Amino acid sequence: MSRPRFHRCCSCVQVVKACLPAPRCLGIFLLAALIYAANLSQAATNDFFARGLEFSHAGQFPEAAAAFEKAARAQPAAGTLLNLGLAEWQRGHAGAAILAWEQARWIDPFDPRTATNLKFARQAAQLDEPPLKWFEEVSTWLPANAWVWLAGGALWLAVGLLVLPGIFRRRKAGWHQWLAALAFGFFLFSLTANFGVVSRAQIGFVVRKNAPLQLTPTHDGEVISTLASGEPARQLRTRGNYVFIHTLGASGWMEQSEFRLVCPR
Amino acid sequence: MQLQVAQPAVDVTTPVSATATFDPPVVHVGEKAFYRVNVDATESSIEWPDTLAAPAALKFGANTRGMITQMQINSFRPLTAFLYEVQATAPGHFTITNFSVTVLGGPVEIPAASLDVVAANIPLPPAPPDARRLVLEIPATNFFLGQPFRVRVLLPPGPGNEIEALREVQFSGDGLMIDKTAMQQAIEPVNLNGQLETAFVCEMVVTPIAAGALKFAAQGFTAGREFTPPISIRGQVNLSGGPAKYVLLVSDPAEIKVRPLPVEGELPGFTGAIGKFFFDPPQLTTNRLHVGEPVQLRITFHGEGELTRLVPPAAPRSRDWQIIADPPPATSFTLIPLADDVSETPAIPFSYFDPEAAKYVDLTIPPLPVTVAGEGLPAELPTLDDAGKTAAPLKLSNLAATPGKTAWSLKPLQLRGWLVAVQLAPVAGFLALWQWDRRRRYLEAHPEIMRRARARRALQREQHRLQQAAAAGDAAAFVQHAARAMSIAVAPHFPADPHALVGGDVLAQLDAAARNGPAGETVRKVFAAADAQFAGTPPSPPDLAVLRPGVETVLQQLEEKL
Repeated sequence: MSRPRFHRCCSCVQVVKACLPAPRCLGIFLLAALIYAANLSQAATNDFFARGLEFSHAGQFPEAAAAFEKAARAQPAAGTLLNLGLAEWQRGHAGAAILAWEQARWIDPFDPRTATNLKFARQAAQLDEPPLKWFEEVSTWLPANAWVWLAGGALWLAVGLLVLPGIFRRRKAGWHQWLAALAFGFFLFSLTANFGVVSRAQIGFVVRKNAPLQLTPTHDGEVISTLASGEPARQLRTRGNYVFIHTLGASGWMEQSEFRLVCPR
Repeated sequence: MQLQVAQPAVDVTTPVSATATFDPPVVHVGEKAFYRVNVDATESSIEWPDTLAAPAALKFGANTRGMITQMQINSFRPLTAFLYEVQATAPGHFTITNFSVTVLGGPVEIPAASLDVVAANIPLPPAPPDARRLVLEIPATNFFLGQPFRVRVLLPPGPGNEIEALREVQFSGDGLMIDKTAMQQAIEPVNLNGQLETAFVCEMVVTPIAAGALKFAAQGFTAGREFTPPISIRGQVNLSGGPAKYVLLVSDPAEIKVRPLPVEGELPGFTGAIGKFFFDPPQLTTNRLHVGEPVQLRITFHGEGELTRLVPPAAPRSRDWQIIADPPPATSFTLIPLADDVSETPAIPFSYFDPEAAKYVDLTIPPLPVTVAGEGLPAELPTLDDAGKTAAPLKLSNLAATPGKTAWSLKPLQLRGWLVAVQLAPVAGFLALWQWDRRRRYLEAHPEIMRRARARRALQREQHRLQQAAAAGDAAAFVQHAARAMSIAVAPHFPADPHALVGGDVLAQLDAAARNGPAGETVRKVFAAADAQFAGTPPSPPDLAVLRPGVETVLQQLEEKL
């Protein structure tokens, strides 16, 4: 650190500035602090994950579920959610298990274990898959966030291929135009997939056994029917402590604690 | 049946008799005395007149009546007493004459009774024990509606400090509820008129059930040695001898003010408890249970208020628990979990009213952590192949050994506002490129701008070298740099390469006055010296002190035109 420089005419501000570390050092310090904090968080997450594994191996599934849930809350991960689903299933919570596996699939749609577990759970609990529209089906081909970057990249690639040759005084080649057309096509296609992702974000699952579906969002509302744990539904709106959901067979209000979205907002 | 036979019979055959006395029989003017009538019949069988005929100088005050069952040798006999408070306004001998009342359909004569009223300066004989008054002690005078409080009724000792029992203790006055189940009796030293005396004390719990000013008095019959257990005795006690003498005594009235409970600030779970309460940590019989398995939650209350009248909190409604309040006086609950995803018992709202702070206090029974085991789900499913034969069973996957692929959040980027800004960031890049291209095309159309800019930069460099040469006192270098700086400064006007320009070109860029003045002279000197150096002719070194200000002036003029 440089010594403070005192001049007869210098003001206090200048002295203070001279005493402070250089902005570059401050930036490095902040970056190091951020990396350290991130590492601490990562270590805590891994700690919960390891504890959950131990509990699972010991057959203490409620404790295992709690540990995996803490790990997933700190940092959602496909493996953590897979294990959370297994622990919930073992303690008899079909809805919570299906929700955890759907969340794992949301992060990593290519993991075959989550697909197998979901198929198994739905077969065992006699439950349906959430019905998806064609653009929602398309959106499951890639991780949800990948579609955003694909759309942005394709759009700006197309624009760049059309604009940059003129700016840099290069002659537009044929492949420029072909590639621009292809990128624009990708952009349009990914728009529908993005719309599918937004639409799929409304899908959730009943997490309580025999959860009542009510006609009104009130404590003593008339019960239309009861839904099984793990039943899929779409959340359309909320009012107070209730959500209005649409299932395969009916629509009605349900307490928020009994219904959870795959991607909570 | 055996018990009924063993009980003495109630004597209804003996003719009804009556007595009437004044207690005390002699009083000073203005003093109070009691007019007492005893009839050995039940109170309901006596048709007592509403008013009594009495001399005008006797003023009747509060009156009361009571009934007691006298214990005789082989029978019980009812005794009803009528007691009037009387005050004489003048001295004299006053008599309430005999009169007749109807008892059990027949006439019974009430004998005459006389009261002597003397002047205040005449001494009185000792007052008989029947003229005693009960003492009523209340802990405070301001209460809230429904707030139970303890009242002490004291029977002062009789002659010879003999202690008597007090029976049929009652309170006259409206708006009070008496809890005789919480009655406590004692013989103990008490402070009576500043003196410590042993007295019979009867303590009862009274609850005001009406708001406003309430006035009440105590009454009871002396009963000799007929003490009703349980009774606690402290200190030395003299018990009265002989048969019991049943005398109806009353106390002076006491007045309390009763305020209704405030409506605002009432908390959930208020069951009317008034006082100060707390409870020990709630205890569960077990914290690991199965769905449908009952567990008991025990709560033990303590406090300064009347715990005998504490109504425990009502069982709340819960979707996850069936809650059954155990029958009073128990303050425990039976809880049955209805779902296996509950992790704690339900909170049971409860509150009480603190009369000192005049506010409601939350005393909710907190939830306790529990683990509820549910019914298990299958971990393996049998499957059949196309031929209908048993195939490999469908199974759940194994545990993941690592967290695997991670995400910052499950919320998709499509629903985040900042994503729009990130996606539009390339627009800024394209705009910057477009602006750069525009500028480039403009400069191409106006090359003089670039030439002037380049000339300015070259001129600054040359001026710097010029300064260095001047500082070093190197006249030859100074001349060279001065000539070059002037050439650079005028080059964009032609345009031409600065090396190709001569002094005449520089002079051509000066205005006529400057060209013929000192500035022109300086230019000529500088270029003449530079040319001489170029030609190898050893010049006489110019005087820098003279030449330098002129050069700086010329360069300043040329730079302004640049």
